[in-house]
Amino acid sequence: MKETPDDKALEDRLGASKFSGEGFLGTDHRPVDEIVAADLHELAQLGVAQETLLAALRDAFEKARAALGGEVEIRPGLKAVAHESMGRIPSPFRGDGVFEKGDVVLTAADGEQIVLTALGLAMIEKHSFFQGRGSRYRVEPARAARLLDLV
Amino acid sequence: MLVSILISVGFLLACGLVLAGLLVLAEKKILNYGTCHVDVNAGRKVLDVEGGSSLLSSLAEQNIFIPSACGGRGSCAYCKLKVQEGGGMVGPVEEPYLSPEERQDHVRLACQVKVRRDLKIEIPDELFSVSRFRAKLLHKKPLTHDIVELRLQLLEPDSISFEAGQYVQLESAEYKGRESVMRGYSISSVPSDNQHLELIIRRVPDGICTTWVFDHLKEGAEVLFSGPYGFFHLSDTQAPIICIAGGSGMAPIWAIVRDMKEKGIARPTTYFFGALTQRDLFFLDEFRKLEQECPWFKFVPALSKEPADSGWTGERGLITDVVSRHFPDTSKHEAYLCGSPGMIDASVAVLTKNGMPEANVFYDKFA
Repeated sequence: MKETPDDKALEDRLGASKFSGEGFLGTDHRPVDEIVAADLHELAQLGVAQETLLAALRDAFEKARAALGGEVEIRPGLKAVAHESMGRIPSPFRGDGVFEKGDVVLTAADGEQIVLTALGLAMIEKHSFFQGRGSRYRVEPARAARLLDLV
Repeated sequence: MLVSILISVGFLLACGLVLAGLLVLAEKKILNYGTCHVDVNAGRKVLDVEGGSSLLSSLAEQNIFIPSACGGRGSCAYCKLKVQEGGGMVGPVEEPYLSPEERQDHVRLACQVKVRRDLKIEIPDELFSVSRFRAKLLHKKPLTHDIVELRLQLLEPDSISFEAGQYVQLESAEYKGRESVMRGYSISSVPSDNQHLELIIRRVPDGICTTWVFDHLKEGAEVLFSGPYGFFHLSDTQAPIICIAGGSGMAPIWAIVRDMKEKGIARPTTYFFGALTQRDLFFLDEFRKLEQECPWFKFVPALSKEPADSGWTGERGLITDVVSRHFPDTSKHEAYLCGSPGMIDASVAVLTKNGMPEANVFYDKFA
């Protein structure tokens, strides 16, 4: 499909910028709509609704945030820790506003990790964008669903 | 075949260049707005600026620095001010960042307002005293495994006037293809030491500015920053004080408490310093010394994840629980908080539950 100027502008904003040193696409060279479509397809194959996964991710995020930097157990074998950070970060999707910085690291017993941010959760909610492969903040749908015991 | 392709490409390039030249010419000749007057705060200052640029950059050229983190791209929404007259329509870039109340109140993003005619604007009076500084890094001292203290010698201007609790915007240099960015950090030094500035900075994984500070900024290097900014400072009441801050959030509290000592302000003050384990603590000796020198000051470090057998004899538990144990009644106190939004929200909840009016809680959120 031909890339429109809007697609190009969005992909530019998803790249490294004054706000995100690494950007949101990681090493993924696929167009954004292809990344979104592939992740939604993966979720559909697993039989997990995006809303269900998002609710579980938000629950883990809020529990960790409430622990003020302490480790909390989300479920047996899955721990979460919130890290604070100064400032706010604007969404690369125009009009979505600015979000608190700081992240929550989910760590499974085998060391597997998922890093959540307020902006990352908002991008999943509004745009089904789980970020590109290779991004530190990518939420691999199948992995997240498995770690959160949804499959 | 190749020649005709090259000729076509050349022709297109030439057309593009001519069009670009015409646009530049049009901007200069046809869209010449001339000199415009910008009235700031009902005549407190009237600036003559060359029309055509953004209000943000026009003000900066006149040494009025409005906070901005994105460099005028309309994406951080830090540069809000009121444009009472001459600002034109709210543009599509700024619209999502303005609430209905703000639009009603003529709030705009300075970076998105183009100076095309005379303007009347309102900014906080404090911004008149903001300057851009050049300084030399005297030392970069590790305080914990992920926190450093920077001490800067001011070069130009060579002194700064600020209130304890305010912050500056540090400008990182370009490194490894990363652009220069501006990030806000609270001043940890006291206002009386006006030729120096100290900052306490925690490393953020992948953070553009903190990676520069930790990995690229060397002692002796020149550093740029603007400031002072912010409204977080000690009130002029006599109420006893509860301070809560952990990690780099200690910076403004460290400045405020020492400033109180210098000025002879002896309001009963308790500072709760929350951390995970002993390796996250710093300035313990300095605060203990302050306790000995100032009978009105008490320092309470509290650890939430310290191993039970470590020998730590101080407070344990979440900082909010520790505060609640010490102050079951906070109705007569004021609170000064600095830290993550999560920590601030939890602290406000505990303080108000124990009787503190929300108006008596002052905070500097990391957001």
